Amino acid sequence: MLGNTPRDWRSGVPGVLVVCLLLTLAPSVIAQTAEPGALTGKVTDGSGGVVANATVTATSVDTGQSRSATTATDGTYKFDQMPPGSYRVKFEAAGFKTVEISSKVNGSETGVLDGKLEAGERVNGKPQEPLPNAPSSSTTAPSLQDLGLSPEQTQGNAQEQARLDKRTHMLKVHQRLGLITLAPLVATFITSANAGGKNTSTADRTTHLVLGAVSGDLYFMTAYYAIRAPRIAGTETRGPIRLHKAMAWIHGPGMLLTPILGAIAYDQKNKGEKVHGIASAHGPVAIVTGAAFGIAVMSVSFKF
Amino acid sequence: MHRKMLIAFLLLGIPAFGAPDSQWTLEQSTLTYHVSHPLHQSEGVSHAARGKGVCHAAQCDFLIAVPVKSFDSGDSNRDLHMLQVTRGAQFPLVTVRTHLPEAASTSATVRADLEIQFAGQTVQYKQVAFQLVTQGNETRISGTVPATLTDFKIEPPTLLTMPVKNDIPVRVEMTWRPQ
Repeated sequence: MLGNTPRDWRSGVPGVLVVCLLLTLAPSVIAQTAEPGALTGKVTDGSGGVVANATVTATSVDTGQSRSATTATDGTYKFDQMPPGSYRVKFEAAGFKTVEISSKVNGSETGVLDGKLEAGERVNGKPQEPLPNAPSSSTTAPSLQDLGLSPEQTQGNAQEQARLDKRTHMLKVHQRLGLITLAPLVATFITSANAGGKNTSTADRTTHLVLGAVSGDLYFMTAYYAIRAPRIAGTETRGPIRLHKAMAWIHGPGMLLTPILGAIAYDQKNKGEKVHGIASAHGPVAIVTGAAFGIAVMSVSFKF
Repeated sequence: MHRKMLIAFLLLGIPAFGAPDSQWTLEQSTLTYHVSHPLHQSEGVSHAARGKGVCHAAQCDFLIAVPVKSFDSGDSNRDLHMLQVTRGAQFPLVTVRTHLPEAASTSATVRADLEIQFAGQTVQYKQVAFQLVTQGNETRISGTVPATLTDFKIEPPTLLTMPVKNDIPVRVEMTWRPQ
């Protein structure tokens, strides 16, 4: 039986590693090869008239980088060489309320995003008709300064918002990949029944190995998105996320140890030996790792 | 002589005319938003609101402001996610403005028109009912603002591809004290 020799096992490993490597690198390769796009549009007021000299600011949700443009006399603007991705586009003009719209830029395409501005409290220095339930225009009306709020408390921070956006985006990917990882992980556990014991075959062991490799690869992709998600300063960890993070200290090392022990066990079985020594811990370590991973997934799945 | 006295009287009266007749200060507050999901219910609470009312000619203007990030649901991950979807870093305050007659403070119920700025949007809620209880020098106000996610153009967060409900009623309990 050629398939039972260690030599054949070793010859199969590079192929599995190549597949794992490709899976790992695929997202970044795709991102690097995407062509830039463009975004254009027209800014108008409530009556449909064009608004010249309006400031249009596009902020990348992914990177937090911003670009600004000013509308021409016909109310149009254009951003060239925009990296593909999600953007928040803000339209500002004197006398109008600021409007912000989410948009996507696709590679090598020119997206169209028009901005429609509503009149603010004052237009051309003339007070507008008061809103039906607006506070009175009395000069005695309290202001934010009257409440003792500092400018830091009242002013927005676009960079911090971009960090939050990126964090949420990465953690959403983290969550989805984690759920996807469950499928091959469960399949790996199911195939483990035929991979060990006396009545095992090389095909069963290889199936188990490949599924385990795919699970491990998806797992580390999942972990990447959690580890690289931006941290928000001054945040104290509270709630179910504490359990989620605590479980990582179990399934993280477990995900490293399990395949190492599995490889030793695989080698021993292919030599016709009974699994012995440290390799006999492969099963128990895998069970603890899988359980910790399952608890981690459950702890954050029943909330948004 | 009479003309000089009249002018002097008017000049003395100008500062008094511009000054408020009375003011109100927000002493304590509890604002609670409620979010519903088919699999989950959650609430976030803030006690960090600041408010002031300025009355003049029997009419009062009120302003209440609360930092978005002060809402605490007991889950830091959820709070950060809420901060993100409501764009709380870019628009850090929720402000509420309303205008009421001064006599409303003696009523058991008032219906207020609210102008709320939140998540970069300004939304008006008409005739929102509040209950008033006056004890000693304090007036306690309670009611619920029928806010929705779409009012403020907030994309509903999802869990297992199911979005939360659009309604995010905000329970308001405040204690005001005249100055």
